[in-house]
Amino acid sequence: MDYYLQQLVIGLSLGMVYALVAIGFTLIFGVLNVVNFAHGEVYTIGAYAGLFVVAAWAPPLAALLLAVLAVGALTGVGLERLAFRPFRRFTDEASLKSRAMREATLMSSLALSIIAREAIELIYGSQFQTVPLKLLLNEPIRLGPVTIVNGDVIIFVTALAMLLALQFVLTRTRVGLSIRAVSNNALGARYVGVDVDRTIAWTFVVGSAMGAVAGILVGLYYGAIFPSMGFNPGVKAFVAMVMGGLSSIPGAVICALIIGVAEALSTIFVASVWQELVAYAFLIVTLIFFPRGIFGGARERV
Amino acid sequence: MSASERPGKGLSRLLTLAILIAVFALAPAALYLAGRSYLYQVANLIMIFALLSASMHLVTGVAGLLQLGHAAFYGVGAYTAALLATRFGLPFPATMPLAGLAAALVAFLVALPTMRLVSIYFAVATLGIGQMLYLIMLNWVDVTKGPNGILLFNALRIFNFDASKPAIAYYVVAVVTVVSILVIHRLSHSYYGNALRALREDDQCAEAMGVETVRLKIQSFTISGFFAGVAGALWAHTAGYVSPADFSFTVSILILSMVVLGGLGSLPGAIVGAVILIGLPELLREFKAGDYRNLIIGLVLFSVILFLPRGLIGEASALDLMRRQFAGAWRRAPDRRGGMGWR
Amino acid sequence: MHTRRSLVILAGALALAAPAFAQQPTYRIGYQLPLTGNTAQYGQDFKNAAEIALERFGKAGKPFKVEIVFEDSRSDAKEGVAIARKFVDDKTIVGVLGDFTSGVSMAAAQVYKDAGMPQLSQTASHPDFVKISKWQFRNITTQAQEGPLNADWMWSQGYRKVAVIAEQSDWGQTVVSYFVDAFKAKGGQVTVSEMFNRGLADFRPIITKIARERPDAIYTGFFYEDGAQFLKQMKQLGATIPVHSTSAAYNQQLIALAGADADGMKLTATFLPNNPAANVQEFVSAWKARTNQEPGQFPAQAYDAVNIMLAALERAHPNVTRESLRDQLAATKEFPGVTGATTFDANREPAKQLMRAQVKGGVFAPIAN
Repeated sequence: MDYYLQQLVIGLSLGMVYALVAIGFTLIFGVLNVVNFAHGEVYTIGAYAGLFVVAAWAPPLAALLLAVLAVGALTGVGLERLAFRPFRRFTDEASLKSRAMREATLMSSLALSIIAREAIELIYGSQFQTVPLKLLLNEPIRLGPVTIVNGDVIIFVTALAMLLALQFVLTRTRVGLSIRAVSNNALGARYVGVDVDRTIAWTFVVGSAMGAVAGILVGLYYGAIFPSMGFNPGVKAFVAMVMGGLSSIPGAVICALIIGVAEALSTIFVASVWQELVAYAFLIVTLIFFPRGIFGGARERV
Repeated sequence: MSASERPGKGLSRLLTLAILIAVFALAPAALYLAGRSYLYQVANLIMIFALLSASMHLVTGVAGLLQLGHAAFYGVGAYTAALLATRFGLPFPATMPLAGLAAALVAFLVALPTMRLVSIYFAVATLGIGQMLYLIMLNWVDVTKGPNGILLFNALRIFNFDASKPAIAYYVVAVVTVVSILVIHRLSHSYYGNALRALREDDQCAEAMGVETVRLKIQSFTISGFFAGVAGALWAHTAGYVSPADFSFTVSILILSMVVLGGLGSLPGAIVGAVILIGLPELLREFKAGDYRNLIIGLVLFSVILFLPRGLIGEASALDLMRRQFAGAWRRAPDRRGGMGWR
Repeated sequence: MHTRRSLVILAGALALAAPAFAQQPTYRIGYQLPLTGNTAQYGQDFKNAAEIALERFGKAGKPFKVEIVFEDSRSDAKEGVAIARKFVDDKTIVGVLGDFTSGVSMAAAQVYKDAGMPQLSQTASHPDFVKISKWQFRNITTQAQEGPLNADWMWSQGYRKVAVIAEQSDWGQTVVSYFVDAFKAKGGQVTVSEMFNRGLADFRPIITKIARERPDAIYTGFFYEDGAQFLKQMKQLGATIPVHSTSAAYNQQLIALAGADADGMKLTATFLPNNPAANVQEFVSAWKARTNQEPGQFPAQAYDAVNIMLAALERAHPNVTRESLRDQLAATKEFPGVTGATTFDANREPAKQLMRAQVKGGVFAPIAN
């Protein structure tokens, strides 16, 4: 019994890691409805920036997170300027929403992610970066029959804070209202006086800052910082977002937890090499059978 | 849009002839004079990727279905060919069509459930399926030998004739590639191709006009899978070794980049894209700039999307496309089709 | 190309005509290795090792010069084959070193087999690699040797129930199969046998699964990065099962990444930097001067591979052809390398002395046999 409990706890902590990445991702991709394939690289940049700050002067964790937050925000601005704004040359409804536009931004963000990853690799090499051991968030905490680490707690608190803050902003403030307005109907939003460019830029800033913080936290959690570290969490975050019904951040978080638990439990029954298949299988099953996410909300748009 | 309607019909005939002469006479002559088997290898690789790019062009360029898992069908073909050759001793002329059929079958099975998805969701579904196939190649050790890969001894055998000498292998690859590309050309420049183009421009409208959209999509996806499988067989038999790493997500992206670089919807563009994206890194290697190869591929891709939305020779500009989609873009998908909303 | 070839001919003619002005002949060796991509760190190590070996060789005042041409394969079979073709075409290249992974080495080997080019890989451990043709050599102990040795060692410590975990690669497959066969032959029991994909972030589900079976020890096949993750997460979960590993895990970075969590791991190795032998210390100090780190197992293997190649060149001089170089490589006997004395057997496999070591207080300390 303890064994299953421990696997469940590990699954939950895996899921929390995915959820942390999925929050920023869902804000840009799902809520703002902009196809962004470079989120994984923002995550990687956050981890490397954090490492850089640590090497320069070893600040306490909170200061480190603030610095990474700033780097992430800047990355978000740059990303939006380079890969997304150029495609908003036309402001009619069709241009803002059309398939071709979405595919163009998919390709441009993909190209930028290749550039970012290769640049990091050229500068730092492809090996794991050595993280100062005392900074690692892997101090074990024993809770009866199961074991977690202090990183689990920190990630849980961070993810919860992000989730609550975003939910509050999106549903209770004018900024959130304009984000939802832009995603719902960009032209309409413009007509009623919302600054569409600004709103999109701000969403990128917030989403990318969260992505960067996720990067450094997970980097310190596992002690594994390397150029292609963003790919897997990016995929998992994507799957969680699709499963959760795209525009729902709580939905994405819950589905991230489901994925984590399913992955950990899968090792009980099958060889662990098949663990990676779990998320993809969820993705396909969701897309085919629950195209509106497993909570089946009455969603009107994609 | 078909070739016969264009005013420059004679010119395009001439161009085809010139390309055929270049592929079958000039290039081999130049390679022979250069006397470097390395260049044969690069030429073979360019042709294999030209075929891959052309097969993806049919789905992504002509029918407008963004594909992110093409390398998996290439892999299915390569593994089928390698397994048939090593386990049953079949020669290349037998493994090649069977590899194509196997890849086509897998593509068909993939297409059945996913074709209802539109746009980005289709793209992501193909990404997921591509990764699943890749993981199966990597981890189903009993059949695929997993990461060990499969080694083909005296790989390119046509019945009792050993064709593995670089010059002969070149011709084998060239003939298969040119014939396949001609077939793809005929398909994409026919009424059939025009129906696919109608899907790309506006599939709801096409359906209203009596085009069977889902069936067409499945067909084109299957045909594309077939040719990717043939390319896989070519790779397995010319390289003599297949392993999962050659069919990963990055390869899918490479093929997609070729199609985009050349220009969506343009077959010559897809081929030019393959020539550039395989040739350029090798050229950079000559100039000792090897470390920057992938960075440069990323930069090329980015600049093309930004500054040349039509690609080098494209017929469908991303911007034109979205203007034309003005009407169709913001109507909700009818629920009975299970489509996913806006397109 | 032609100008270079005629220059070489010219130089040869001059050498014959006027010994007094004789120019030293230059032999060229190709080295294919991953300098970019996911495995670039290993390729960079090999390049450093090769340059150290070459520098040392240059200072020794030999009657000929050697040049090494490095080509980046990205651990990609496509690239590996293209490079192989390139090396084969270059008539001035008489021998080839590399590649890193067995997969790429074997894809390239097809070309070298057909063209008749000696190929010596410092790391290709796939059982079939040297079986491809008489042109393939390697300077790495295969798991056929290491697996049974580790099985003996673990058995002698009283372990009867063992879990096995290795990375999902051609090499990882051999780690599992040779060890499991040898251990079962002794009557031992293998409780869990798991593979993982390289770069796996979270080993905890596997560790929990292993711990549940309560094995006496775990035998592992990983490289240092995955190894560090595995050891850290073992410690996290409070699993105190003894860990044994192979020479591939032997890298100072393992300790840098895992810290004290690596303590107690036992492994076999053919190279230990604290070996007092003069040639080992010479290599270690040259390596430290260059990289500020201690060399691990793989750089040492590359260093030896290059030196074995250079020694074969020296024996073949002045009639150096690909054929003669191959024969001289095959004749390598008791080569005094930093990874022990190397002799190629009839199958071009090296037989090496494996040492035992344990991580203690942040260093790999040798254990007396």
